[in-house]
Amino acid sequence: MSKPERAWDPGNPDRLYILTSTSDGTGKEVRIDLVTLIVSRTEGDPGLQPEHCAIARMCDYPLSVAEISAYLTLPVSTVTVLLKDLLSRELVEARPPVPVATVPDTRLLEAVMHGLQNL
Amino acid sequence: MVGTGSSHQGRRPASALIWLVPPVVLAVCTVTAAFLAPVGVRAPAAWCGSAATAAVALTSSEAVRRGRVIASLRHRCAEQEAVLKHRLVQQERETQRLARELLPHTVTLLQSGAGAEEVLGAVSRSSPLDPAFAAAHRSVLRSVIEAVQAEEGLRDSAHRAFVNIARRMQAIVHQQATDLREMEDRHGNEPEVFSDLLHLDHGTALIGRLADSIAVLGGSRPGRQWKNPVPLYNVLRGAMSRVMDYRRVDLHSVADVAITGPGVEPLIHAVAELLDNATRYSPPQTRVHLTAVEVQSGVAVEIEDAGVGLTDEARRRAEAVLELADRGLDLNDLGETPRLGLAVVGKLSKMYGFRVSLRSSAYGGVRAVLIVPQNLVTASATPGGEIARAATLPPPKPRKKPGRPLPPPPHLELPGQASDSPGGLPQRRRRVPGMSPRTTRGTAADRTTGSHRPPAPAEPVQPGIWLSAFTDAINGKEPTGGRGTEQ
Repeated sequence: MSKPERAWDPGNPDRLYILTSTSDGTGKEVRIDLVTLIVSRTEGDPGLQPEHCAIARMCDYPLSVAEISAYLTLPVSTVTVLLKDLLSRELVEARPPVPVATVPDTRLLEAVMHGLQNL
Repeated sequence: MVGTGSSHQGRRPASALIWLVPPVVLAVCTVTAAFLAPVGVRAPAAWCGSAATAAVALTSSEAVRRGRVIASLRHRCAEQEAVLKHRLVQQERETQRLARELLPHTVTLLQSGAGAEEVLGAVSRSSPLDPAFAAAHRSVLRSVIEAVQAEEGLRDSAHRAFVNIARRMQAIVHQQATDLREMEDRHGNEPEVFSDLLHLDHGTALIGRLADSIAVLGGSRPGRQWKNPVPLYNVLRGAMSRVMDYRRVDLHSVADVAITGPGVEPLIHAVAELLDNATRYSPPQTRVHLTAVEVQSGVAVEIEDAGVGLTDEARRRAEAVLELADRGLDLNDLGETPRLGLAVVGKLSKMYGFRVSLRSSAYGGVRAVLIVPQNLVTASATPGGEIARAATLPPPKPRKKPGRPLPPPPHLELPGQASDSPGGLPQRRRRVPGMSPRTTRGTAADRTTGSHRPPAPAEPVQPGIWLSAFTDAINGKEPTGGRGTEQ
């Protein structure tokens, strides 16, 4: 029976729904997905929840939502709610991910190649 | 009785002589008659007189004898009556003692867990009563003891059954909470499923609290045990999570202390019960304020609601409930409207030395203050509370350097170094200047973040001209990054 004792992360009685209980759901309509990058604008102020503080602290360098979720070991949905909170308080900024290196369309390249060959 | 005896004694000499009076009188009369009578009837008169005298003497002597017998009988009777009265008084006294002292004493002894023989030995002492009566008393006592023991046994087994059921419920709830956590992790990406899971999680926590309450009232300890100290902030959040209306609870400033392992669960439970009362007995649109401050004797957790408040009478009743809680779970108390909350708080307070007071609040509602004793309070390792579940992973990036301000470009001197590398991909280029001290981390995570770096250094990059051209070009494209998100 020691297994559940271990699996239940020791030393913390918080449940996940409590973390997001302060959020009123009136956050701005921001699309946050796994690859959205988050950068903090401030160090975070003491009145914040520890999770908010942690996010603000770790995002002094842009981190994707997936990374934040991994570091905090919190599910993405929870992190999303927390981030929306932070965004509405303008403590962090969200940026869309940088497009992967823009490789030209192969079809276009082929067309160009054919065009050149036809010259 | 002494009086009757003495009167009896006094009468005796008189009665001894008195029996002679009638025969003597008769004899005198006979003699007188014989003298006075004419000579012809003198002889028969004398004969008749003497016969009558003899008869009277006989009768009176017999009467006196019988009188003596009667007197002695009466005397014996009186003695016996005295003895009986004495005995009756004794028995009465003994019975009263049995009713007033022995039985309550027996019951208390039994309730404190003494065995039947032990109790019997303790309460029975040599009494001046006759053995049969004493034996009857003892048998009364014994049957009472047996009845009480049977009753206690029944109560005990009911308790045990309750606690046992509660324990099983706790185990099931625990397992379910664990499972729910796993599911929450698994479905963290699907908001709908996730929110449903949270809903279920909350429901499970409520069931768990009920099970804990029953266990506590049954004299057991609540739920799980914690090994390490838990920051008070998290303890209070844990308490909030077990309340139906947790969204109405505002967690304000919390003293930066931790609660030692053994005190965590009781405190969570007690605060949860108080919060439950606060949210239940206040209008649904009002908030409940939860704060914790350090005081001389420990930490004071304050719960303030804007409900109907307590009248003096209600407060007295509530405090009585808090006081009486140590009697344990009485099935009668669980009547039709079981109000477990305060009883549980009282019980926990008794067990762990919390002090609870209920006063009326400035908001008009109730202000409950629970003082956690100093011995359960310790220094907090993580000021401000722990992150929900990241005990294993607190700092993802050990970058302590003050280079946090992003806008000032700290990489001006780097481009030369950076241009050493062959002008390959522009992304990589940009990554180097942005984070000279951070290159220690070659993780994929860094690479993604690095690839995002350009926006910040974009403005200051002048030294590498072709590079800046590249970055400009990239930046120029950035606004169209929607494409990236589409991919």
